[in-house]
Amino acid sequence: MQLARIDGTVTGTACHPSMCQGRTVICQPLDAEGRADGVPVLAFDQLGAGLHQHVLISAEGSVIRQLVRDEHSPLRNFILAIVDPKSGDQVAALSS
Amino acid sequence: MRLGHVIGKVTLGLADPALRGARFLLVQPFSREQFAGAPLLPLAKGATQVVYDELGADIGHVIGYTEGAEASAPFPTSVPVDAYNAVLIDRIHYTPPA
Repeated sequence: MQLARIDGTVTGTACHPSMCQGRTVICQPLDAEGRADGVPVLAFDQLGAGLHQHVLISAEGSVIRQLVRDEHSPLRNFILAIVDPKSGDQVAALSS
Repeated sequence: MRLGHVIGKVTLGLADPALRGARFLLVQPFSREQFAGAPLLPLAKGATQVVYDELGADIGHVIGYTEGAEASAPFPTSVPVDAYNAVLIDRIHYTPPA
């Protein structure tokens, strides 16, 4: 899994049918300090993550194929969880 | 899945029988600036990808393609494909925090 931030969404004219069960959002991978790290990737979202929210993205194709119940889905990155905005304070408290 | 824009097409000569009649696109991956609306030319840095296409993308289209083992999932049999065009992108709403 990887920490990322939702930086936008994309809409498509034609796509693989398994992608119609959720949104395709633009995720910016983050480094440990929460800064942008690398090029944004597109991820499949069924949780309805909001703009600029921190999320966990996973790149496990086998898991997403079960989620969308389509073993021929080409999907790979998807939103696994939305991170609680207060969780950063606990990490800081633990490490101080 | 990554964003890229189509800059060419590839026609195979001798190929695996499973790839008969397949269409391949030459795709240049997006840079972060291009997400924000920078012009597609000059091309972003990075290796150009050859992507299997079933949606009929043409030169100049922006597509979302998946790489790796998941790219060979949409086929009934196992085929040697590791980049698959999953969506023709219509609009990009990219608003990173200031």
